[in-house]
Amino acid sequence: MKTKIERVLEEATIKTFEDICFMYLEPELREKQKDLKPDAAAEVGFHGGYTGTLVIESRGDLFSAVAVNILSDDRPSVQQKKDALGEIANIICGNIVPSLGRRKAGGYKIESPRHLSRDELLKEEKRKPLAAVMLNFNQGRADIKLFVDDYISDKEIKD
Amino acid sequence: MALNTLVVDDSSVMRTIIIKTLRLAGLPLGDIWEAKNGEEGLHVLQENWVDLAMIDIHMPVMDGEEMLTRIRANDQYKSLPVIVISSESDPGKIEKMLGLGATFIHKPFTPEVLKDIIVEVTGVSNENED
Repeated sequence: MKTKIERVLEEATIKTFEDICFMYLEPELREKQKDLKPDAAAEVGFHGGYTGTLVIESRGDLFSAVAVNILSDDRPSVQQKKDALGEIANIICGNIVPSLGRRKAGGYKIESPRHLSRDELLKEEKRKPLAAVMLNFNQGRADIKLFVDDYISDKEIKD
Repeated sequence: MALNTLVVDDSSVMRTIIIKTLRLAGLPLGDIWEAKNGEEGLHVLQENWVDLAMIDIHMPVMDGEEMLTRIRANDQYKSLPVIVISSESDPGKIEKMLGLGATFIHKPFTPEVLKDIIVEVTGVSNENED
């Protein structure tokens, strides 16, 4: 069963892919795409009530497809692909942080997106995310992970 | 009337997304200028006739809030329609931008939402409509 944060993360990701990339979920590809390896990743850090990072990994042809759809350019450069994936991460992050609670004056400051190298991605994979979603599109798969330092859920606060 | 539009965002990808969405919205567009921070945006405003400014909040050199404050302090552009497009989540910051006479669009957004708001703030009509 998904947690509340995972549901919000999934909704924010689906809406971002639909509105910005014009890409739509294909849940029936789950089996076909389950063994795809990541070919690119971007990270966005945030600071406010909580500190953490949001990581997006692309698999299959998603890395190219995001840039092609966003830029309407059939042959985007590698830098354009990195920038496009980073922008998607940035938008998803902006939509998810208010759901973390623990409001602080000034809200959340979201850093500029950063492309992750293969080594950095391997390090990230060893950490346990607060929430993770895996979404299948015709063009490939997106894995989104939310890492939050010292997270205390609303339920725990009430208890 | 063709809308001369200024798009201010430090991300070139985001500027491309906004311009592409403007075109998809089917609005009558004139010249489109791009700037990557508030300072560059103000320079474009000084040099050109702009009907609509679409600005981000978080940018280096000069952020959207300062740019908007300077726009409103200048008699020449104080009534310029400004749309702030951001993934900002702080209600206080959003209120501040609204208080400076801007309209706020939260990312992500659809061409339909963008079109409706542009029609509302500029009064422009969609020439492509039957």
